[in-house]
Formats: sequence, C-alpha cells, structure tokens
Amino acid sequence: MTATTARRPDAPAAPAPPARRSARRGRRRAERLRERSEMIPVRLYGLRRGTVTLLTVLCALFAVFTLIPIAWIVINSTKTQANIFESFGFWFARPFEFFHNFSLLFQDVDGYGTFTQWFANTALYALAGGGGATVLAAFAGYGFARFSFFGSRAMFLLVIAALLVPITAITVPLYLTYARVHLIDSIWGMILPSMVSPVGVYLMRTYVQVSVPRELLDAARIDGAGELRIFFRIALPLMVPGLMTVLLLSIVAVWNNYFLPLIIFSQNNLYPLTVGIGLWAQRAQNSGSTQIFPLVVMGGLVTIIPLIVLFLILQRYWRSGLLLGSLAS
Amino acid sequence: MSTTAITAAGARPRRAPARRGTRRSLPASRRGVWFILPFLLMFLLFMVAPLGYAIYTSLYTSRIIGGTVFSGAANYTQVLTSGDFWSGVIRVVIFGAIQIPVMLAIAFFFATIFDLGVARFGRLFRTIFFIPFAVPAVVGAVMWSFLLEPQFGPFSHLASAVGFPGTNFFSPSLLLPTIIVVVIWEWTGYNMVILYTALRSVPRDVVEAAILDATPLWKIIVRVKLPIVRPAIVMLVFLNTIGALQLFTEPLVLSYYQTQAVSVNYTPTLYIYNTAIAGAQTNLAAAAAVVLGFVIVAISAVSLVFRRRREGTP
Repeated sequence: MTATTARRPDAPAAPAPPARRSARRGRRRAERLRERSEMIPVRLYGLRRGTVTLLTVLCALFAVFTLIPIAWIVINSTKTQANIFESFGFWFARPFEFFHNFSLLFQDVDGYGTFTQWFANTALYALAGGGGATVLAAFAGYGFARFSFFGSRAMFLLVIAALLVPITAITVPLYLTYARVHLIDSIWGMILPSMVSPVGVYLMRTYVQVSVPRELLDAARIDGAGELRIFFRIALPLMVPGLMTVLLLSIVAVWNNYFLPLIIFSQNNLYPLTVGIGLWAQRAQNSGSTQIFPLVVMGGLVTIIPLIVLFLILQRYWRSGLLLGSLAS
Repeated sequence: MSTTAITAAGARPRRAPARRGTRRSLPASRRGVWFILPFLLMFLLFMVAPLGYAIYTSLYTSRIIGGTVFSGAANYTQVLTSGDFWSGVIRVVIFGAIQIPVMLAIAFFFATIFDLGVARFGRLFRTIFFIPFAVPAVVGAVMWSFLLEPQFGPFSHLASAVGFPGTNFFSPSLLLPTIIVVVIWEWTGYNMVILYTALRSVPRDVVEAAILDATPLWKIIVRVKLPIVRPAIVMLVFLNTIGALQLFTEPLVLSYYQTQAVSVNYTPTLYIYNTAIAGAQTNLAAAAAVVLGFVIVAISAVSLVFRRRREGTP
C-alpha cells in the first residue's frame, strides 16, 4: 500500500500537453533511478562468478515460455489453413496471408457471426461497464471515506463482504434472475452487473482517505460551497490517478469476462470477443471449413493486442491497482 | 458523468432540508448517503438480489407434472450426496495442491532475483512475465490448445521428436497437467509482481547488516526476506485457492478440441454450468452454486481472520 499511496496525487488540473508528457517521462526516469539507487550493489552479495549469467539465462528461459504462445499466434496469423497444420509452427510459410486473414475478420464466415461486431460489442460492454463502475466507485468511495452517517459503517462492511463473493458464484444467480426479468439476450444484462465493483469502491475509499485532505473539504464548506461542487471541483481532480487504476481494472475485467456472456447471450450478434472466439474454436474442430482456423488465430491476435498495448502504456496504474486490489481481497 | 451525479445526489427532493446553516459540523453529515446511494442501489439489484433469488430457487423443485414445489433441503442433499459434484471438487483440490505451490515457487524465485537485481535486464523480464495477465483466459487457452493439439500441435511433434511418439496432451492422464501448465502460464507473472512488491518493502539496512555479518545470500533470503513477505505469500495462497476452486474456462475451452477427457462435471463450476444450461435443472444448479459460493466465502473469511491475527495489534 505504501508504494502506491506515496505516489504523488498532486496531478495538476490542466497543464499544457507537451509539458505533461515531458514531466511524465522525467518522473519515469526518476523512478528508475530511485529503484537503482535503492538496490544493494550486486558485488556485495559475494556470489560465485557466473551466477548473474546463469540467473539471466533462467529468466530468459521463462521469458521464452511466456512468449511462446504469443509468438505462435503472431506467426500463424500470416498463414493459410493448410500451412497452420503442415508447416513448422514457429516460422513463417508462403503464401503470406496476413492481410487476407485480417480481411476475414470483417466477414461472416460460415454464418457464426462477425469479429468486427464482437469487437464493437466488447468495446461497448467494457467502456460502459468499466466506465460506470468507475463513476459509481468514485462517488461511493468518496462517500465512505469522507462522511460518516448512520449505517455507513454497516454498509461498508457489506461492501467488504461482497469482495469475498467471486464472479463465478454470482453468475449463475444472475442468469436465474435474468430468466425471470427478461434480461437474457439483453446488453443491459452484461453492462449493468459489470458496473458493480466492490473492489473499485474499496480502492477509491482507500485512495480518498490518503489523497483528499479533510481540511481542504472543510475549508470549502466554510466558504459556502455545496457538496456536489466540492466533490467535482476539489475532490475529483485529486482522485484522478486512483480513478485511472479503477477504470483500467474494471475495463480489463469486463473485456476478459467469459462465463457471464456465455450463459446470458444466445444470439451471436450480442457476443463479446471471448465468447465469439470460444465459439469459433469449437466450430473449427467440428466443421470442415477451410477458413475458420486462420480466423481463430487472427481473431485471437486482434483480441489480445489492445490489452497488451494498454498494459504496456499504463503499467504504473496496473501495478498499483494490483497491489491495492490484492490487499483488498 | 455529471448528469449521473446530479440525478443521483441532487435532484431527489424528498429529504432536502439541506441548507440548514450548520454546515460546519459536516464530518458527521448525512448527506454522504447521496454519494453512496447509486452504488448501493446497483449493488442490491445485481448482487444481493440475485444471490437471494438463487437461495430461494434452490429450495424449490420443478417437476414436469405438478409444477414448482417447495422441497426444502432436497436439492442440497442431492448436490452433497452426488458423486458428480464431489469428483469435481476433488479434482480442483488436486489441481490446486500441485499448481499453487509450483507457481508460487517459480514466482518467488524470480521475484527474489529481480529484487536483488542479480540478473541482467530485470525490468524487461518483469514486464514480459506479466504479459499473460493481459491475455483473456479464453484466448490463452485457445493458443495453448493449438500448441498442444495431438495431431498437428508443435509440442506434440516435439514430444515425438524427443522420443515420446503419440503423446496426447489431451488424454485423461495428461489433461490435468496440461491445464496446470496453462494456468501457471497465465498467473505466474501476477503472483511474481505482488511478491516483488512485498520484497521491495524489506528494509535495506536489515539486509546490509546481514551482509556485513558475512551471512550467505541464501540465508538472507530464507531468514530475513521470506519471513517478511510471508503475509503476502499467505494471501496469495488463499487467492489462488479461491481461483482454483472456480476453475472453468481452461477445461471448457480444451473440451472444444474434441477432448473426451473433459467430463460435464470436470470441475464444480462446469458441473453448475452444465446442470443449469444443458441439463436445464436450474434449481439443482442454484443449490450447487450456493454450496460453492459458501465454501469460497468461508475460505476467504478464514483468510481474513488469519491475516488479522497475524498482523496482531497495530
């Protein structure tokens, strides 16, 4: 927790973009330098010669294990179906079909649905669900952190208890309930439950407690500002880094969700990517179609790229979020 | 965003004697309710209510003749005495008993290396190891299925090349190890990052003092660092146990690859899924879901108690 909370929440309201970028780069460099200077010089450990090399090799081996599936999917996205089966899996083969395979994503091959539709669905579910979760968590986290009223403690304990309930445990009950209230095959059945993020509320409460000083709010109250105005003008700007973390975590959670959409959607034009790719993988085995394997591979590649890019760009928020999230649960 | 805020917090006139002039005593303000209300409403509708409805459903049985009748604990008796449910439970317990220690050992090993800085390119490796966390479980499982597929998968070729012809990673005997490898691939980076962060919090002067005493490095790791990160490890054991009990996506996706080894009750969650969807026995599925949820909540609660006690009085 200390690592995150020590991070300056003093994000300026709106500096000029170039200044912000260079500031960010500088901050990153400072972080790296600090990390290095905090480390004890390796030679002091009195290691046998070659240890560093050996350990680096071990790291490299595990890195190879980590990257193998990703390398495979990149390479095979360029192949025809025949070559996916017949050519060596870890090298390219002629003909180079990357663009052809990519164009397949825009067609409804075999009548199981189109990738582009699923991609748009996923983006909608992730943005609406994740965005909604963030908004609700911002309000509730602020409310829990900076107000105490009758029942607030009990309500917060309820949220903590909800942290213990896993997604899987809530999915089948949701399905049963939807069957009663006609939310099966409705996009709201996917979006609305995604907006309920007890972890997000917990994270925001912790974040507000650390980064939004009570005195500042009280000063504004003495000046006669209304509660909403105080929230939007004073608290919210201070909460931005924490909100980024919550937004990121909730978007990824929706993006990766498989179980809920799998059981509540029966029309393939409502599927998110996870369900669509799973369906293709299943059909690929059962049908003799000539096109569907390249489709699965290319679809998988296009599914993971946005997330990996998002992750590489926003690493800092991920890490702090993970840490807080793990402490929460 | 702002419209939500206004409807949520402002435009409800019911309890609005707001401006009463004693605004300075606000720390104990009741107005905070309006900030919490939107979340609370959604929380009740999409979490509490479905859980309540599932419990309600689990107490009934629908028959073709006679409709839905109250049956008390009958569904629970059926779940708890059925071999289908328990065989899945036993399987995920075996799965967790192997996967969790192996993964945590790997994660701790690399976290220690990165923390000590005794490997080159530490930052780069740390980033690479974490990448699978960003890959949806479905896509991860699909990629591994291709790699391990018995007929054309590169790993099956590799196995026969090194003297194990006809290796079928999807056969009943190898399926569980296969799933273990896939899950280790997905989650090691996440566990590593958490352990790494915990290791960074070990005070530097303690380690320096140990070095000055000429303590060998392995001893510093085992005697100084390990005890300090033990709470993090305990927490990860609980988190991963909960994850293991919910094992679902990986076996389901592998079953798409014509794997007879994945039975409809391979894991408890698959059992619930197949009972609810394919079997259309919603009442029974609800009871099973409640049982599984209860077990998981119990484990989480134990973990909380465990941590409280360990942290002791602050």
